[in-house]
Amino acid sequence: MADTPRIQDNGDDAPHEAPQAGRTTSTPRWVKVFGIIALAVVLLFTVLLLTGRGSGHGPSRHAPSGGANGGAASSLGAPAESHTKP
Amino acid sequence: MTMTPGLRKFALTAHVASSVGWLGAVVVFLTLAVVGLTSGDEDTVRGAYLVMEPAAWFVLVPLGLASLLTGLIQSLGTTWGLFRHYWILAKLTINVFATIVLLLYMQTLSYLAGVAAERPFSSDDLGVLRSPSPLIHAGAALLLLLVATTLSVYKPRGLTPYGERRRQVRRALSQD
Repeated sequence: MADTPRIQDNGDDAPHEAPQAGRTTSTPRWVKVFGIIALAVVLLFTVLLLTGRGSGHGPSRHAPSGGANGGAASSLGAPAESHTKP
Repeated sequence: MTMTPGLRKFALTAHVASSVGWLGAVVVFLTLAVVGLTSGDEDTVRGAYLVMEPAAWFVLVPLGLASLLTGLIQSLGTTWGLFRHYWILAKLTINVFATIVLLLYMQTLSYLAGVAAERPFSSDDLGVLRSPSPLIHAGAALLLLLVATTLSVYKPRGLTPYGERRRQVRRALSQD
């Protein structure tokens, strides 16, 4: 990292590129790492949803189904105000 | 549109205050989630979940939106831009994602607060409240906001293709 051009931090929080900074054609390594991590998280959630293991996740999971407890049943978009005991 | 130095400092102060305030509020929320999940006292558990909903509506949501708004002003009103640097793009993505999840999660928090307010309160209700969901969401939010804060401080290098084109245009104009 020491031999790569960096944005100089001159303390006023404004971008000032180093004079020797040239064209950096490749995407920085940290961006690739972040992208891979984000992709892995998205894939993980997709797999969980597809396999049904994550079907209980989401804001709708606490919505009542009309049953006695109305706890973990799914009813997308049900208003939160309706969560009261009969 | 570039802001004057005084206005820029003011906008930066507002952005730092709202963003760090959001981070601190998430830490408090995480504490409430731990209390709600682990406390052996029924009233304490109910109290934790009753506090979560108004705390989220009156602290988390406003600070999240303020962080997003001041961040947009800060980037668009300075030479940083919104899409020129990867670290700003990453922060924008984190902020938008966290705010959307928070707004969606308010339905769950309303439900949990409703269960906590039930009278009479049954052991089934206590079982519903013993959910790791708020802890998981608050933990993930804390992680994301810490990443955003770190990006703000370190400002890692890297121009986006759009930022690179803008720089080349600026250089060409300055040479003319």
